[in-house]
Amino acid sequence: MKNKKKNEDVPFEEYLRKLEKIVNQLEEGELTLDESVKIYEEGMNISKICLEKLNKTKKKIEQLVIEGEEKYSTKPFSEKKGEDTVNDS
Amino acid sequence: MNNYTESKIYTVSKINKYIKKLFENDFNLQDIWILGEISNFKLHSSGHMYFVLKDKESQIRCVMFRGNNCILRFMPGDGMKVKARGDVSVYDKRGEYQLYVREIIEAGKGELYLAFERLKAKLKDEGLFSEEIKKKLPLIPQNIAVITSPTGAAIRDVITISLRRFPNLSILVVPSLVQGTFAAQEIAKKIDFLNKYFKDLDFIIIGRGGGSLEELWAFNEEILARSIYNSKIPIVSAVGHETDFTISDFVADLRSPTPSAAAEMTIPDKNNLINNLSVLKSKITRAVKRNLELKTENLYSVSRSLKYQGPENKINQYYQYIDEFSARLNSRIMHQVELYEERIKKDSQRLDSLSPWAVIERGYSICRKIPGKEIIKRLNQIEVGTKIEVIISDGKILSKVEKKEAVSN
Repeated sequence: MKNKKKNEDVPFEEYLRKLEKIVNQLEEGELTLDESVKIYEEGMNISKICLEKLNKTKKKIEQLVIEGEEKYSTKPFSEKKGEDTVNDS
Repeated sequence: MNNYTESKIYTVSKINKYIKKLFENDFNLQDIWILGEISNFKLHSSGHMYFVLKDKESQIRCVMFRGNNCILRFMPGDGMKVKARGDVSVYDKRGEYQLYVREIIEAGKGELYLAFERLKAKLKDEGLFSEEIKKKLPLIPQNIAVITSPTGAAIRDVITISLRRFPNLSILVVPSLVQGTFAAQEIAKKIDFLNKYFKDLDFIIIGRGGGSLEELWAFNEEILARSIYNSKIPIVSAVGHETDFTISDFVADLRSPTPSAAAEMTIPDKNNLINNLSVLKSKITRAVKRNLELKTENLYSVSRSLKYQGPENKINQYYQYIDEFSARLNSRIMHQVELYEERIKKDSQRLDSLSPWAVIERGYSICRKIPGKEIIKRLNQIEVGTKIEVIISDGKILSKVEKKEAVSN
């Protein structure tokens, strides 16, 4: 399916533009019943995808630990209170 | 002026103009730097700056016009040690000489400042600052990295503000030196590292809180500028306070005045987005509903008009038509009849007036031959002895012709 592959790559803003276009088309009111039902379903689907996109990521605050030229790991970032000085590398 | 020209008299303006020319022709007084401390600084409402530069033994008046001072990177003030660049010349209205300042840099920062200007010019020429190569940041970032000190206020601000705006964000903190000799190199290396192993990052914020020019210097170094330029991942530069501009700011895909501002500018407000979405969604629903209502309305009006055109209705219509028609026909006929009656009446009146009886009534008479009832109009129609009848209004007289007598006109 063309769509399934696409959803991941299409940026959020493009979906927003599509939604706005759908609103305009519907508000102009020149569509046939079939067309407006079709476009309505498309709009609902897009807004669902958008919401999914907004909720997709999980909150995660991590700190990168570089262990060598090509080696690294991550650990949870813990806020150490400190001055705006640097004692890390 | 020597003894021989004692008799020569100058006006005040002439002599001042002459002195002014002397100043202006002396290259030792043109385009020079003067080191000193600012004193008696006044920013006039016209935008021009007036002050005095002094050292322990001496002082010189200075003026810096608005056109020049608008590009200053700091606000001069009393007690500041500065280097001022300009021409010494004469203000002939008052007969005073002064330094016409074109540029001021804070003393001690001179070398760095010049290095900054040189590198800026060089990288600009190479096209590292050009707007066309700047990458666009996605509207909804999901994975971002922040290269900064893990203990500074900057990282705390970025995390707090980012999560407030978008609670389910993934932030990778990449610790780095942000000041000192090795800072630029280290930040550059980390940008390269992220480009290699974290290709999915939406963008990288590099930055630190405010500080002196020296403290911010890492962000003015060429090695970092080149790394930002080469990064495939968009870079957001977030260095210091509002007024500090660094080379990194110019090369980065987005410049923000402070780390907090970087978070505000790059992380969307999730609640806003959700609101926008539901507004769009309800707009769509409303529009479809309205379309449906319109279509239903249309259907009703079409079916109504169909009913009017059905066969039953047609027959009724015909009946009505016929009724109307016959009524119209009746009235037409009546009218015609009336017209005829009128005409007949008129005609009969006319007939009356032409009737011979009407003439006879008035005393005329008609003569006819008895056999044949031929009306006698000429003498030659009759002989003596011809039997005739004379018709008068109430009867006739039978007679016989006695004599014919012609009437001569």
